[in-house]
Amino acid sequence: MLQPLNLNRIHRWGLQSPPASHRLLPCLIQPSMADPSEAKGEGSLRKAFGGVLGVFILLLIGTLAFSIRLFSVIKYESVIHEFDPYFNYRVTQFLTKNGIYDFWNWFDDRTWYPLGRVIGGTVYPGLTLTAGSIWWLLNNLNIPLSVETVCVFTAPIFSANAAWATYLLTKAPPSHQFEVKGTGAGLTAAALLAMVPSYISRSVAGSYDNEAVAIFALIFTFYLYIKTLNTGSLFYATLNALSYFYMVCSWGGYTFIINLIPMHVLLCIVTGRYSSRLYIAYAPLVVLGTLLASLVPVVGFNAVMTSEHFASFLVKCQEVFIILHVVALVYYIKGILSPKMFKVAMTLVVTIGIAVCSAVLAILIALVASSPTKGWSGRSLSLLDPTYASKYIPIIASVSEHQPPTWPSYFMDINVLAFLVPAGIVACFLPLSDASSFVILYIATSVYFSGVMVRLMLVLAPAACIMSGIALSEAFDAFTRSIKFQLPKLFEASPSDAGDTNRGTQDEPTKVDNNTPTEKTETTAKERPSEKHRKKEKKKLEKGKEIKEKGKENTDKVSNKPLNAKKLLVLPLEASAVAILLLLILGAFYVVHCVWAAAEAYSAPSIVLTSHSHDGLHVFDDFREAYAWLKHNTDVDDKVASWWDYGYQTTAMANRTVIVDNNTWNNTHIATVGTAMSSPEKPAWDIFNSLDVKYVLVVFGGLVGYSSDDINKFLWMVRIGGGVFPHIREPDYLRDGQYRIDAHATPTMLNCLMYKLSYYRFVETDGKGFDRVRGTEIGKKHFRLTHFEEVFTTHHWMVRIYKLKSPKNRIRGKSKKKTNPKTTSKINSNKNVKKNPWQ
Amino acid sequence: METQRRRVAEEMAISIQITAVLLLLITGGAAGRSADDLVAELKSLRSQSPSGVIHLDDRLVSSFLTSVGTPRPYSLLIFFDANQLRSKAELRLPHLHSEFSLLSASFAAHHKDDASSSRIFFCDVEFEESQQSFDLFGVSSVPHVRLVPASTRSLRDSIPMDQSEFSRGAESMAEFLESKTKISLGGAILRPPRVSLRQVLFLLAAILISAPFLIRRILDGDTLIHDQRLWMSLALFVYFFGVSGTMHNIIHNMPMVLPDRNNPDRLIFFYQGSGMQLGAEGFAIGFLYMVVGLVLAFVTHLLVRFRSISAQRGFMLVGMLLAYWAVSKVIYLDNWKTGYSIHSFRPKSWW
Repeated sequence: MLQPLNLNRIHRWGLQSPPASHRLLPCLIQPSMADPSEAKGEGSLRKAFGGVLGVFILLLIGTLAFSIRLFSVIKYESVIHEFDPYFNYRVTQFLTKNGIYDFWNWFDDRTWYPLGRVIGGTVYPGLTLTAGSIWWLLNNLNIPLSVETVCVFTAPIFSANAAWATYLLTKAPPSHQFEVKGTGAGLTAAALLAMVPSYISRSVAGSYDNEAVAIFALIFTFYLYIKTLNTGSLFYATLNALSYFYMVCSWGGYTFIINLIPMHVLLCIVTGRYSSRLYIAYAPLVVLGTLLASLVPVVGFNAVMTSEHFASFLVKCQEVFIILHVVALVYYIKGILSPKMFKVAMTLVVTIGIAVCSAVLAILIALVASSPTKGWSGRSLSLLDPTYASKYIPIIASVSEHQPPTWPSYFMDINVLAFLVPAGIVACFLPLSDASSFVILYIATSVYFSGVMVRLMLVLAPAACIMSGIALSEAFDAFTRSIKFQLPKLFEASPSDAGDTNRGTQDEPTKVDNNTPTEKTETTAKERPSEKHRKKEKKKLEKGKEIKEKGKENTDKVSNKPLNAKKLLVLPLEASAVAILLLLILGAFYVVHCVWAAAEAYSAPSIVLTSHSHDGLHVFDDFREAYAWLKHNTDVDDKVASWWDYGYQTTAMANRTVIVDNNTWNNTHIATVGTAMSSPEKPAWDIFNSLDVKYVLVVFGGLVGYSSDDINKFLWMVRIGGGVFPHIREPDYLRDGQYRIDAHATPTMLNCLMYKLSYYRFVETDGKGFDRVRGTEIGKKHFRLTHFEEVFTTHHWMVRIYKLKSPKNRIRGKSKKKTNPKTTSKINSNKNVKKNPWQ
Repeated sequence: METQRRRVAEEMAISIQITAVLLLLITGGAAGRSADDLVAELKSLRSQSPSGVIHLDDRLVSSFLTSVGTPRPYSLLIFFDANQLRSKAELRLPHLHSEFSLLSASFAAHHKDDASSSRIFFCDVEFEESQQSFDLFGVSSVPHVRLVPASTRSLRDSIPMDQSEFSRGAESMAEFLESKTKISLGGAILRPPRVSLRQVLFLLAAILISAPFLIRRILDGDTLIHDQRLWMSLALFVYFFGVSGTMHNIIHNMPMVLPDRNNPDRLIFFYQGSGMQLGAEGFAIGFLYMVVGLVLAFVTHLLVRFRSISAQRGFMLVGMLLAYWAVSKVIYLDNWKTGYSIHSFRPKSWW
């Protein structure tokens, strides 16, 4: 009973309104060819309305992306987070104060004392230059924002940009047959990306780090590549190279781009999708992009030549580059010669081409093979052979960011997108275009890499958003279409009314069809495939014409198969309604999860800590208290020693010189500090004194239960120190292989500097000396310091600052010598030590 | 009856005494044997095994170790094996034993006829048949490798190989051997090639024969790589591979399931705590991740082409139930595993 009615209605719709053929073969129909029966004014109004609505939605998405990242500012305050951002902030301050040339040549003497660090040549300048330019622009517009404010909000601003770039990228991939999918999927993907937790974790307000800007650059570079691939325009190719240059400036992850794009080109060639547009998309990018990349000091031309990590890149790029040229030549000759001549020429060209190719390949392989690691750096090897790092490179394997993720990580970081991606992959294959094959390659590679290292989840997130956006919009398209075409009959309205409604709904796709940006891709999309595809399209074109004519004839019998098939693409009404409801619930869950993740999981600045207890909220602002004390109570040129974690913060907030910092480029220097912390007071004093250190800063969480304090990191200090200075031995600090600080701790542990500086006077707090982090009473409670004096301890005892006592009088030392024979030997040995206090 | 039983017992006691005496005689005889005899006997035992690993039992242990005066003319590197524990994957006994044999074979190959070939012998001992020897050495856990140097008197003083020293296989065992005995291996470990020569030749021939056909098909644009379904299933597989955390399982060598400690009959499929996952767990969740997306793709792209409305309705019902079940299962398991409680933020006035 339902079926015939249903069919009838759809038939009517299909025949009445030409847009049906729009949907099927939009590339054939120019705007001027629009059906005369359609009211022109209404159509353009709808188009304009759709455009305005789209812009409005995009604005809302931008606002969403920006505001969901403000939880950290609302819950805490507008403050730079964690460790690395403080360094970036300091560099930005320097840039805004001294200008770009001084920044480029900056030699920083406030860190790695006495070695210093060349900042200009060792940082990715993209982030700093971006924030600096924003600050400069705002100040020139008489908007007096502080550098800190600009830095805090750079990441949220760029997440909004990234969402818009995602819109552009997702709008581009769908083939010419489904451009409805384009705008809808683009908006959905942009909305998903605006709040994907994985990206939020790196871009909340205050998280002023490279990734914040780099993800935008990554997506935008991919968009421009797709755009070039669709249009074949050199203008976009140049923009693409520039965007790639920006990415190289911003983040080390640019290697992902320069590996992914050649892979895609290769894939296109292998599957017979070569076109001149592919050539234009790839060749300028490699040539211009590599030239531009070598302008960045930290990457540098030197790196292209020597670094093993670039060897792989060069091999791959050039290989693809050569193959591309050979294929281009083949196609060119094919174009100008007759088929018979072509066969002869083909054999000639192929022979020569293969000969040249293999010669170059052999040379490259020989070059690469001559290097010890076969041209692969440890990190890239660990990506290709995931077990490599765990076997051979403990330093890579030990970093928690480099651990392979488990399934809950995926659920935490991309949440329900994990469910939707497979549908997106399938949708991209129906039908496969150059652009959608690129997106598929992107998701496949990024999901593989994210499986190896959890930090690469950040690269997966945009791909997952794009795929889910496509999947969701396809699903909504199917379900809403079913409802639209079947709903009217429920009301048992008169056939003519129903026809009107149908026509009204059908206009929607048309409106998007005629949108200018999609139009461009669609007209050019026609040129895309090679001869074969072109032939197919010609056939389609003919068919399309037939359909159109028939449509105009307005006959009732529709014999054309494709049209028939297209019209029948509906699902049962009530099931579609339920499915839409389920999808909406899924989306709502995603929103709830993202907001929760942004608010609870990823917004802690870790410089200010809070804890909720039964008597309310506690705020621990000890770090800034300590840094402010240093700033106001010590001399400008005093040197402060601490474990490397706090180096960036000390230089940025206290403006004092540090010995080591988070840029861990010199292992020996770090080992020196580790050795000092693991030594007894006197040798430690000698080491610090030889480095001109005036103050020692330790972080202690035993009183309030802050678990990432120095005592918990202490074993790493011992290990790193022992790695360079063999007299520090890890077993001396362990009792039966266990790390403990209670009464069973080893004497070496109880006498080392770190123990003493952490627990000095600790017993005075509660009378027992109970350490809340380790959950035990400490082993040695009452002791005095001989070579250090406590100068400052923060409110919650989280940071303790000690001053090195000035050297003792010789006579006192002598008198001591007489009284205690044990110390004699020590002092004697220390005489030797004075020459080289670390041995 | 009673007396008979007693007599049997007495007889048995006597026979045990006799064997003990005999054993004493044998071992006494062994003690009397010259060093050259012992080495020759060891060599003959070694030649019987293809890898050169001598299988020791209690008798041989006593005749070659306990009853020989120090310094002995040879050192022994002994691998302690237990047949009943070979099935436990985490001990890796079969793997380590094969590495040990490899070391022995490589040593034999590098020292065919020189003097050092008679200074060190590779042996293994099996727990069930030689429990006494295990006691003698004081070995209570496997895998265990011990070096008995020539001068060691008490077997308990022999040098155990550290866990870290045999974990990297034959190479690290060789390092241990060289550092402790000062006998060099005399070359690299000789591993059998992964693909034998014959296989290589066969592969080459296969490639050569199929090359013309392949090239022709590639030029025609009609190969597997032009098949979109292949690429689609490949992409979906890679995705499944990634989200199920297989890489984590490969890198950390996670087992598929764990036996329950409290109840040995039960198996643990799901591990609580977000830093770790088991193999089966990953695949199960990966499957749940996949099934929703595939159902959605099926409904949007295939089901719409069905002609029968009731079939569409039925499939959609099943699909939606399946998807709902999968999503709720993953949410439940995630909350259970990580301990997070995800909640929304509502204005207080809503309550």
